[in-house]
Amino acid sequence: MLKIKVKKGHNINIAGVASREIFAPQKNNTVSLSPENFRYIKPKLLVKENDIVKLGDPIFFDKLSPDVKWPAIASGKISKIVYGERRSIKEIIFSIDTNIENEQSNSEKKKLGNKDDVVNYLLEKNMWPFITQRPFNKVANPSDKPKCIIVSLANTAPLSVDYNFTLASNKDSLVSALLNLKKLTEGKLFVAVNPGEFDYLSDLDFIDIIQVEGPHPSGNIGVILNHVNPINKKDVVWTVQGHHLPILGKLFSDGIFDPSITINLSGPAVSNPSYFKSRIGASLESYCKGNLSTDQVRIISGDVLTGKESTMNEYLGFYHSSISIIEESFDRSFVGWLHPGGSSKYSVFNAYLGSNKSPYNFTTLQNGSHRAFVPIEAWEKVFPMNIYINALLRSIEANDFEEMEQLGIYECDEEDVALCSFVCPSKTDVGGVIRKGLDTIYFDK
Amino acid sequence: MNFLKKILAKSGKLFEEGKPLSFAYPLWEATDTILFSTDSQNKSGPHIRDNMDIKRTMFFVVIALIPCYLFGAYNIGYLYSAAMGVSSSVMSNFILGMTYVLPILIVTFIAGAICEITFAVIRKHEINEGFLVSCALIPLTMPPDIPLWQLFIGTSFGIIIGKEIFGGVGTNVFNPALTARAFMYFAFPTKISGEKVWAVGPDGYTGATALSIPANPSEYDTATNLFNQATQFDFSTLNLFWGLIPGSIGETNKLLILLGGIFLIYCGIASWRIMMASVLGLVFTAGLFNLLAEYSTNAMLTITPLQHILIGSFLFGTVFMASEPVTSTHTNKGRWIYGFMIGVLTVIIRSVNPAYPEGVMLAILIMNMFAPLIDYYIVKSNINMRMSRNA
Repeated sequence: MLKIKVKKGHNINIAGVASREIFAPQKNNTVSLSPENFRYIKPKLLVKENDIVKLGDPIFFDKLSPDVKWPAIASGKISKIVYGERRSIKEIIFSIDTNIENEQSNSEKKKLGNKDDVVNYLLEKNMWPFITQRPFNKVANPSDKPKCIIVSLANTAPLSVDYNFTLASNKDSLVSALLNLKKLTEGKLFVAVNPGEFDYLSDLDFIDIIQVEGPHPSGNIGVILNHVNPINKKDVVWTVQGHHLPILGKLFSDGIFDPSITINLSGPAVSNPSYFKSRIGASLESYCKGNLSTDQVRIISGDVLTGKESTMNEYLGFYHSSISIIEESFDRSFVGWLHPGGSSKYSVFNAYLGSNKSPYNFTTLQNGSHRAFVPIEAWEKVFPMNIYINALLRSIEANDFEEMEQLGIYECDEEDVALCSFVCPSKTDVGGVIRKGLDTIYFDK
Repeated sequence: MNFLKKILAKSGKLFEEGKPLSFAYPLWEATDTILFSTDSQNKSGPHIRDNMDIKRTMFFVVIALIPCYLFGAYNIGYLYSAAMGVSSSVMSNFILGMTYVLPILIVTFIAGAICEITFAVIRKHEINEGFLVSCALIPLTMPPDIPLWQLFIGTSFGIIIGKEIFGGVGTNVFNPALTARAFMYFAFPTKISGEKVWAVGPDGYTGATALSIPANPSEYDTATNLFNQATQFDFSTLNLFWGLIPGSIGETNKLLILLGGIFLIYCGIASWRIMMASVLGLVFTAGLFNLLAEYSTNAMLTITPLQHILIGSFLFGTVFMASEPVTSTHTNKGRWIYGFMIGVLTVIIRSVNPAYPEGVMLAILIMNMFAPLIDYYIVKSNINMRMSRNA
């Protein structure tokens, strides 16, 4: 077992942590699959509005990699296809038909011996998009040879789901998923866990357990890889979201696609933050309605650092497992920069008296104006990777490809630097710059 | 307050793009956000943000400087009374000092604000609160009897040449306050070279500063002896620490400077690495020179490390100037090298070339110049590590 102790970082003490109760499914009449959740693809539809589809049927494929198809995430009717600018496909909305809810056209089980078997099986079942890759954080390319595969069951992001709680009853499907994922690589299969969690995994000799300790972002894949097996140029590492493991596990062991996941609804603007049984692409309205403590809110699909701003009428993102809600505040306090402190302030700097003591009600306020960057060692406090982030950002702004690669852009993703943006007194969007760098490199290839 | 908020919101419309006053938008933005904290929303990046911003950061540096101002004013009055041979109360000393400090402060801020606002309007960037810190630092590095017109020119030079021509805060190479100081040092040497006494007194009042005593001894002796022989001022180690000696307004009381430094380090604003490293650099070089002193007739070599720390503006420069984040190195390893070299260069400039009795200003400016180079090699080693992994 490998052990990593991360010192730099910060666990944001945000209010609205979900209570340890899982509530029964809310009534979900519609679910949505949005091609916008997947980077760098060119979707081509295989269905049209009003078609009746069953779970797992192919819905669209990627013109750039035609083998990769996306599954229907519900059985029922395609009630609407939403188009954006230049007829880009924004969303495919399914209305669930309760009569055929669990029916699938293809529930055949196969014995899977090697990598090709597993890849073909996932492609056949249209389940490949569950496998993503680093660098670029996109759907993996089935023909790549990943140098290793990594799964993080240590979710350290603020208000994210606690896998030790939500996956407690999924031991068999977890093991089945990991067993088959191992076949996908000649390298190692790393599984990151918090100390004292998922003890049964240590009996499995085909995985390499990494025990991570320390504040966020210690559970992020990028950070863990930076410590144990850094991504070099031309390296590819595959990964699967922790909450998708049971879905893959059931697919490998029983041949069926079960899109259910356990999500949490949390944040300072939620009346009763708790866990819910849900499904991929669930409607946000069914969870948020009647559970908000104030009217003006921002609903976020995903966590508060990296999630996507959404409205009540939108849906949970494909890879997301939490809904976070914070108040939209436009409050302007008189000479706010002179404020002495107290419970109304939160800072990783010792800049306010008596702050950070109790869970803090974060709002959408930027808490300061955007200014030129002044390097007061703020990012370094919360960025635990062996990368000079300041220099990397400058090389991205200067569009210097070679230097970006040399400074380790392949090892980073937006989520790894989200805390840097959080603490930055100049209110720089560090993640946005990293994404810009990754995009430039990706499109240059 | 709502009334004021409404006025600001309404007047703000006049400064929007395409409106007649749009050129002065930076000025309106500054006024607006100084009075009321901004309601800007998190649009891209994380949905939540820390409560620390640049305004508060810069404000904290100014807070750390206030005690130096108060003591500086008192010290001016104290030295004046001593020179006149009268005893005077703490309050009247302070008030007398203030009549020198306030005009200096006001002129500096007017000069600084004119430059910053002009550039913000022309370049269409926000007014950066950093200029407040530069303008708060400049008076503290000045002798109390500096002519105000010299100060005005010096401050303008510092802000424009030290900062604005490089693109403003965040991209400047030299510390603007020190650029101003260096400009005046070379342009108006009669007032500010640091050899003759920096205190307010009767006409023709003169004397030697602590640094110029071992620099120009009448006959060779160790620095400690020379300090003890000085009669005009008390240059004992203890008094050097307490600062009732002539000097720039803010540099003399070492306790208040240390407290300011501890405050900035505690808040996470200034780099403790730089401060620590420059003290180490100074102790190392001064110690080395002490060993070499017996082979030389230069009394400056006999100054002990502790005396080096306490005389002149070394501590003030280290705590408030060297640790300035933009112009120092941006990597932690680099901060150690940068700070250490400032300590080394300070002693070398002070001791080896007695023409410049004060070395810390030039030491910091030289290291400002080398900071990007130090960072370059530190980052390069990280690149090499990554490249060797690829090979």
